[in-house]
Amino acid sequence: MDKSLHVVLMYGLTQLGFIFFFYSGDIISSTTEGHWLAIVIGLVLNLVMVWLYMKGLGYFPKQDIISIYSAVGKWAAVLFLLPLVFFLFITNIITIRAFSEVITLVFLANTPLWAIMALIITLSGYIALNGVESIFRTGVLLAILFLPVILFTICISFQNVDFRYFFPVMDEKFSFLARPPYWHSFAAFAGSFLFLGFIQPYVAYRPKYVLMTVAALVPFYFIAVYVPLFTFGQATASTFKFPFIVLMSTIHINWLMFDRITMFLLLCLVTFTMLFISMVLWKLSQVLHRCLPKVKPSYFVIAIAAANFIGCLFITNWDEIQSLVMWNTMLRFFVMVGIPCSIWLLGIRAKRMIKDEGA
Amino acid sequence: MDSFIQEIRDSLGDNDDFFFQQEKIGRASVILMGFISLIDLTRTKEALHANMDNWKPDRDDASSMMEAIGEVREMDLSEAITMFMDGKLIVFFESERILVLAEAYPSLLNRAVESPTNENVLQGAISSFIEDIDTNIGMVRKQIVSRHVKVRSFLAGSLCHKKLSLVYDESHADSKLVAKVIKQIESSSDKEINNLQNLTKALGLSAWSSVPKFNTTELPEEVAGALIKGRVILFIDRMPFGLILPNLIWDMFSLENDRNYPLPLMIVIRLLRVVGVLTTLIAPGLYVALVAVNPEVLRIELALTIAQSREGVPYPAIVEMIFMLIILELIIEASTRLPKSIGPTITMVGGIILGQAVVTAKLVSNLLIIILAATTISNSTVVGFQNSLAIRLFKYVIVIMSAMYGVLGLLAGLVLICAYLSSLSTFGISYLNISMNKGESGNG
Amino acid sequence: MRALKLLAAAMMVITLSGCWDNIDINHRVLPVVMGVSKHDGEYLIYLQIPEPMQNTTQIKIVKGKGSTINHAVDDISANLEDRVDLLHVKVIVLDKKYAEAGLEDTISDFMRGRDVSPKTLVTICDEDMDHFFSLVKKKMGPKGTTLYDFFEKNAGWNPQIALTRVWEVYRSIHSYTRDVAVPIIRSGDTTVVQHIGSAVIRKGKMVSQINSEETLLFNAFQRESTQGKIEVMHHASVLVIGNSLEVHSQMDGQTPILRCKLKLKVVILETKEHPTSDMIMKELNEGLTHQFNHMFARLQGSGADILGTGQYFRSKIPRSELKDWRTAFYPKLKLDLQVQTIIENTGFLELS
Repeated sequence: MDKSLHVVLMYGLTQLGFIFFFYSGDIISSTTEGHWLAIVIGLVLNLVMVWLYMKGLGYFPKQDIISIYSAVGKWAAVLFLLPLVFFLFITNIITIRAFSEVITLVFLANTPLWAIMALIITLSGYIALNGVESIFRTGVLLAILFLPVILFTICISFQNVDFRYFFPVMDEKFSFLARPPYWHSFAAFAGSFLFLGFIQPYVAYRPKYVLMTVAALVPFYFIAVYVPLFTFGQATASTFKFPFIVLMSTIHINWLMFDRITMFLLLCLVTFTMLFISMVLWKLSQVLHRCLPKVKPSYFVIAIAAANFIGCLFITNWDEIQSLVMWNTMLRFFVMVGIPCSIWLLGIRAKRMIKDEGA
Repeated sequence: MDSFIQEIRDSLGDNDDFFFQQEKIGRASVILMGFISLIDLTRTKEALHANMDNWKPDRDDASSMMEAIGEVREMDLSEAITMFMDGKLIVFFESERILVLAEAYPSLLNRAVESPTNENVLQGAISSFIEDIDTNIGMVRKQIVSRHVKVRSFLAGSLCHKKLSLVYDESHADSKLVAKVIKQIESSSDKEINNLQNLTKALGLSAWSSVPKFNTTELPEEVAGALIKGRVILFIDRMPFGLILPNLIWDMFSLENDRNYPLPLMIVIRLLRVVGVLTTLIAPGLYVALVAVNPEVLRIELALTIAQSREGVPYPAIVEMIFMLIILELIIEASTRLPKSIGPTITMVGGIILGQAVVTAKLVSNLLIIILAATTISNSTVVGFQNSLAIRLFKYVIVIMSAMYGVLGLLAGLVLICAYLSSLSTFGISYLNISMNKGESGNG
Repeated sequence: MRALKLLAAAMMVITLSGCWDNIDINHRVLPVVMGVSKHDGEYLIYLQIPEPMQNTTQIKIVKGKGSTINHAVDDISANLEDRVDLLHVKVIVLDKKYAEAGLEDTISDFMRGRDVSPKTLVTICDEDMDHFFSLVKKKMGPKGTTLYDFFEKNAGWNPQIALTRVWEVYRSIHSYTRDVAVPIIRSGDTTVVQHIGSAVIRKGKMVSQINSEETLLFNAFQRESTQGKIEVMHHASVLVIGNSLEVHSQMDGQTPILRCKLKLKVVILETKEHPTSDMIMKELNEGLTHQFNHMFARLQGSGADILGTGQYFRSKIPRSELKDWRTAFYPKLKLDLQVQTIIENTGFLELS
């Protein structure tokens, strides 16, 4: 059973939300010129990590990372999985909270925040409860329904571009590497590829296609950063919290029935993000289920969803989200670099051990 | 053996349509037994005699005569009763005290093969299934002439017997699926099967699924198509349709008959059905979302028109929408209940008079009437009535979510429905699989 | 059990849906035009509201006062029977005096909030707002969107009207190299409004003014289509059916130089005294070049780069210096415009 399409779509969709909401803002505020350099560095790091991760996982067919780490020893499981659990948990809270905030900002000014968060978490929880294969299938259906809308809105987002804003091209000092917004921008990559390590026992996929998806997503990263830049210019774009969202609201189309196209892009991205959240819920439930095998995973999903919701309620404003994102930075890099590298090293070790036994 | 006759007399003799008839066939005197309501007795007797007249025995004894009449069988009471119920004739040879099971002319209790009543066929075979299970299987055999088509029959129920037949194409169907279905039917053979809900239970499927687990069709053509796609077909006696198992999402949009059109036209027609389903789901929700929560999405001209047409409507958009939707459902339900000759009256009263009056009375806006009409029409583009019911139900979910969250609720409702559909599976086959040939790796 | 669960969910949904106030569209007031002016530190807001009546639409003008724009709108909202929703405002009319004093805060606030769409058109009113709106109301037909249609590209827009939206004004406030022109209108004698040219906005402040003819050149320079404009000269009048612009930029030390070639495709409509096509072309070229140079000199004097000339030097000036484009480079800019006219056809008649 080759389900590469499902896996690949899942991988792509879960990133799109982050790309257009947060990535563009983070990159634009992290440097004033030569944004492409910042994007390329991030993408290369991402590519290397995804490649290492899949290479490492390839040594352990039909195993997920929980059993890989547990096989090495309890210390490894605690060392790697505990930060992972914290990271995923906090990521979920941040994601839910931030997206709800954007939704109230853009089009539901009267709806209380908790109601939106409740909607997002309930739906994601429901998707997660149905199990991983159901998550994938939902992903495919959503892609069929909403990807055309996204592609359409992206096409028309070029309406007001002025390519001369591309200049100046270079930032020789690489000053962005030291700026927190740049670190935050990695949130777009970090959460999405981890699921590849969880699904091995359930679905088969070909690593080649995942790498192709990484390549296929590259234009989206550039569009998310450069179209706002081309339209507004760096000086103006850096004053926006969500440059791409503002950009979409400047698009004027005479022949469309609807007036605010921002909404469609935004909402489609929100649905993809629900998918992301449900995936994270499922991952968390898997890890916890391994720790306490007596409890059914579905109870964990419900418990984690409830905990997430309560966590979200404790965040009172945008600054707190920012500081939480900051806190998560450490974990993020640990998860993003540490887990792929360790899996890869473990894989090499396992291969050598098999060879030794054979010899 | 007289005791046996007595037993039969005791248990069935109080039926006025049960007959015992003394008869002489050749030299032997026999008793004929059976239900007069199931057997055309005159013709059966004629046939028996004609048979005897033509009979050129190689050895002239009673046993060879019996073999010529039918099957010589030892049977107990319950078996015999089953045979009677099945419309068989039992011939009792008085002198030899032997029972012979004979095929009788059945009295004609079936209608003729007609064109379908629930489905419309354009440019295709129009004969549809009837109540008689054997006729139906015969029609399928005529439609798909292949030695790979296998038929397995079962008798279900302990009090009421019901004949079930499973038809599948050996070369296309997944043997694991067939085995699973057969095992499931056999294990629940004591359950009564009188309707599809019974059947769903007997097959061990969730009775609470809003999407039907079977794709019902009246057309042998569709069944043949499904067989080639590797589905299994269930026939139940007295049900004038075949049940295609499992039901997949694409069945909602595709008919085998579409393939009688040129390919581009087929694609367009199927796309049209997809659009129809999406319209049904989205249109009412979108109206509620745009009117009540997110009017900024509308263009100003439209916004003003809608505001103008809603001027004086005393309740929120959600109430307005649900109110009218329910009236519409009532009209649909009423017109299915009524005899065909009165049906159009209801349509007229409901559609024209009520629609016009409700707008003039300022109970709803006239845009809403347009939306409703579009919804109802597009709802009917779905293939299969059972599928359109599910869609009709889903649209309420979206309407309610839209009333709460506006356009976000609309999309969230779609997500919910997508998630629900992807959680469905029948015998391990996901509802979203596009094709069965590829096993479970369909990309639906 | 399942049925119970479903019932509970349905009950919750129904009770929840009444929790927050979603107001139906017919209970919202949807102003199409908003006028903003400032007197003695107080904002004066004018809203032009189409009121849906039985079979027609009536125009209502309401006025509110407050220390901020939102305060003023709130003031109006409190006095109206329905809630005011700025979501559908299509045109913002700014008082000329207010524009001259600086719009930065107002425009930033529009960008900050979700209410006013960044696509909203910005115009400047050249007369007293009270007067303007009362006249507009008097002349406007039973269609709520007249003023908006005046600017709508597929309705009443003309190539000599500058089209500027809120986000473009906002961009000009922050951008190093780009300013905007905003159309100036006043109430018309026979028509609803009258277009009298464009205001030149530099960093959110109105600094100068150009007339309609110059706005056409400005639009042509922006590569905006100038199709349909009729150009009248001494010997002929022509219809512009297409325009294109080629720009070449170069730096001569610290002096930026821009060479532009504007190509116009025209069709001859009327002639006087039998000119030749060469004459027409020459006349057109010279006239436009002269007009453009005249306008550019004035623009350069005001320091506002509405033509976006700085854009062409983005690749040539480092970002740190680009910041001072308006003060250090723009006044020194040498712009050389060549107009090239192509007469596409001469109608059914040959030119003699």
